Amino acid sequence: MWGETELRRIAEEALRQADGDSAEAVIVARTGSLTRFANAAIHQNVSALEAGLRVRVVRGTRVATQATDRLDTEGIAAVARSASELAKIVPENPHFGGLPRPRPIAPAPSSFVERTATASALDRAKAVKRICDPAKAQRLRAAGFVATNVQEVAVASTLGTWAYSPETTSEVQVAAIGDAGSAFAHRVSLDFGTLDVSGAAEEAIAKAARAQGPLDLTPGEHEVILEPYAVRDIVAFLGQQLTGLAVEEGRSFVAGRLGQKITGPVTLVDDPFDGDGLARAFDFEGQPSDRIALIEDGIARAVVYDSATAHRTGNRNTGHALFPNAFQPAAAMHLRLEPGTRSREELIRGVRRGVLVTRFWYTRWVHQLRTVVTGMTRDGTFAIEDGEIAYPVKNFRFTQSYHEALAGTRDIGRDLALLLPAESFGIQASSQRVPAIHLASFNFTGATAY
Amino acid sequence: MTWRHERDLARRALDTARTRGASYADVRFVRRATEAALVKNGRIENVDRGDTAGFGVRAIADGAWGFAASQLATAEEAQRVAALAVEIAKASAITKLADVHLAELAPAVATYETPVKTDPFALAFEERIGLVVAAEEALRAQPGLRTTRARYAIQREEKLFLSTEGADIAQVLTECGGGIAAEATGNGELQIRTYPDGLRFQNAGGWECLSEWDLTMNAPRVAEEAVALLSARTCPQDVRTTVILTGNQLSLQCHESCGHPIELDRALGTEAAFAGTSFLTTEKLGTFRYGSDEINIRIDSTSPRGLGTFGFDDEGVPGSEGWAIKDGTFVGYLMSRETAAALGMASNGTMRADGWSCLPLIRMTNVSVMPGRAGTLDDLIADTDDGILMDTNRSWSIDDRRLNFQFGTEVGWEITKGRRGDMIRNPTYTGVTPEFWGSCDAVCSEGEWVMWGTPNCGKGQPGQAAHTGHGAAPARFRGVRVGVVR
Repeated sequence: MWGETELRRIAEEALRQADGDSAEAVIVARTGSLTRFANAAIHQNVSALEAGLRVRVVRGTRVATQATDRLDTEGIAAVARSASELAKIVPENPHFGGLPRPRPIAPAPSSFVERTATASALDRAKAVKRICDPAKAQRLRAAGFVATNVQEVAVASTLGTWAYSPETTSEVQVAAIGDAGSAFAHRVSLDFGTLDVSGAAEEAIAKAARAQGPLDLTPGEHEVILEPYAVRDIVAFLGQQLTGLAVEEGRSFVAGRLGQKITGPVTLVDDPFDGDGLARAFDFEGQPSDRIALIEDGIARAVVYDSATAHRTGNRNTGHALFPNAFQPAAAMHLRLEPGTRSREELIRGVRRGVLVTRFWYTRWVHQLRTVVTGMTRDGTFAIEDGEIAYPVKNFRFTQSYHEALAGTRDIGRDLALLLPAESFGIQASSQRVPAIHLASFNFTGATAY
Repeated sequence: MTWRHERDLARRALDTARTRGASYADVRFVRRATEAALVKNGRIENVDRGDTAGFGVRAIADGAWGFAASQLATAEEAQRVAALAVEIAKASAITKLADVHLAELAPAVATYETPVKTDPFALAFEERIGLVVAAEEALRAQPGLRTTRARYAIQREEKLFLSTEGADIAQVLTECGGGIAAEATGNGELQIRTYPDGLRFQNAGGWECLSEWDLTMNAPRVAEEAVALLSARTCPQDVRTTVILTGNQLSLQCHESCGHPIELDRALGTEAAFAGTSFLTTEKLGTFRYGSDEINIRIDSTSPRGLGTFGFDDEGVPGSEGWAIKDGTFVGYLMSRETAAALGMASNGTMRADGWSCLPLIRMTNVSVMPGRAGTLDDLIADTDDGILMDTNRSWSIDDRRLNFQFGTEVGWEITKGRRGDMIRNPTYTGVTPEFWGSCDAVCSEGEWVMWGTPNCGKGQPGQAAHTGHGAAPARFRGVRVGVVR
């Protein structure tokens, strides 16, 4: 841990050395430790201490950024000097509206747990053993990881911005693999002490036992129950389009449709204050992040903004700037698909004939404007008959509009799973909380051999 | 760089690792400088420079692996990180089923540097930004576009590798790339054309790798095609036909359906939970019919311009060349020292890490479809009665054993009686890897062959991005299922 005092000192030193009309310093400091296992043994086991400083210098409408991970006096001076020099010669950006002025940041629930920060390699290895041993007893090969991460985010500017957030996450992913089928489970907790390692192991092992020997099921339109791991993918893809930039570029399915019905009865919010998620009350420009209903009972309500896009398009900055980058300046970082009232078992009982999908794999846009995505099912796909899981089926390829699939929402699970997407730019920027969901139809366009 | 300070720290780290009980250790110091600029809709959207430096220590202790890394280049930190790597290795050992065994390697003391004609970092900034400003402006001459972009990216990575076996290797790897993109919207469509290959084209080398593509001259065609796509015919739905893939699309097809399945770690199950496994299991090596006789795919970390070209991999194994697929038969894996030992072989040097903070993994080097005898792309079209020509990737997906895939491209053209006909929008095709490559009956000749690059190949947990090279020329496939967008 670097601590707020030290990170503030580094940021202020960088701002002091910057030569421009205004400047901003963003620091993300992390110690990421991940113990990876496969074939029932640990094969990769890593821990890395990383801290990066990114300085943005503004001269009129000329803007330049430079990043470094040299945080000694010399390194801080060098990055500030280089960004300042670059800001003198980059062409002007007449649409740039300046760095955002500081605004009050409401307190969010703490996302830091000390015992996650102090977990050791041996702690993680013992957790892995609690997965591999029962898997071996069931003649399954376990693979996956146990991880603990400590992250500090700090933002400062010469306009007076200061924001700091210490955060921890712990995570376990398990694939239980037999000779003819596999299953997957995932758990996340801010507190390594409460990370449900055994629950993940039991879920994956029990499901893998049922997943052996999948049968052919003809692709086509099928009613589906999607486990939260698959729902997470839908939420993430739709989230990419629920930004001011996506609307500006004409690639969002809600462009020109705010206030209109676009899905079935689902509510999707971005809630930076969700104490059961990875709460953070500010964005990577140090602006307060609003709690926003993006889709409310199927009606498109809002999109999120960073300062530059908000300025350029004449909208209010909602405080959703990502770590500075060229292609995705803003994102909903705390997505929650609001729960329903049914247990998972009740959802399955509501299907006479359909498919249960554990998770999606290798999903990619086919047609962004229509939110058409292709991908595969993976690690536990089952036929449902008369309200019960009947038999495992071979994995499908799907090509499906995600928001049109949600138009057929029949029911929503009551239990929310906290899940973490893969890191972007080496940062754990976001978390999601999602339930299982029952959809009337999903378009499976092919199948694979297993 | 002289590496004098870092070499001293590396030796301290190796000493600490040995003292703490490591039977093997290596240390990599990496410094990476980057600059990228994006011009969009007539404004400078982003100019971003980066400079990252640090070191990672890999150790085997009690027969298991540990890895630790830090950005603090001090003697105390070198010793702490080395000790931590050993501690982590010993923790790993509580689940081990067998001791790690590495294939034999003669330790090298050597240097390597990417051949560069024009050092992109030595150019004036105004010259770099001027190239993409002019190219983006040329796109905007076309009416009807919604978004226009031009981008460049340059990178220099300096690496020092020392091991307890005595290796001492210093390398300097330089890369450069970029491109242009035009987007048009209307009629419920968003269409894009790019050149030379998305905005992600990249090669190993200097500024010449980008300037030779003449972005400004190609901008009017790219812009016009983006607008034309809005009113083009939709791809025929769910039919089987002949498909010709241009070289940049074939390069990604090769990356996904050959490059990944020939990774030996996948075949041995150690990527099973995330990246997946491989249908090319070890008993298939040397006998499995992967494709038609036309298919020859090379593993080569010595190819000029390839993003997977280097002197030594991140285990200190020298760059090499060999075959993955020879006359349609699967004959070679991408290997590490550990996985090669499992097959009783020597590593072909494909372990690469995404910077100092990451563990080296088996990654593609340059996995290239070698040219055939079909002449030029025009010759190949003239030789085709009916089909679709598909150009430049837009969408890609493949299952976790690398069998069932679906790709979409930016644009297609109908081929009728040997002539390129009407433009087709939203083209997609899908198939199963060995059947697809088995349906290839022609690959264009050497004059059409280009070293393409993929600078964003994801793998590993924590996630890493690798830069991989893929040479390819246009090729023809028969009986391909196209058009699966509902």
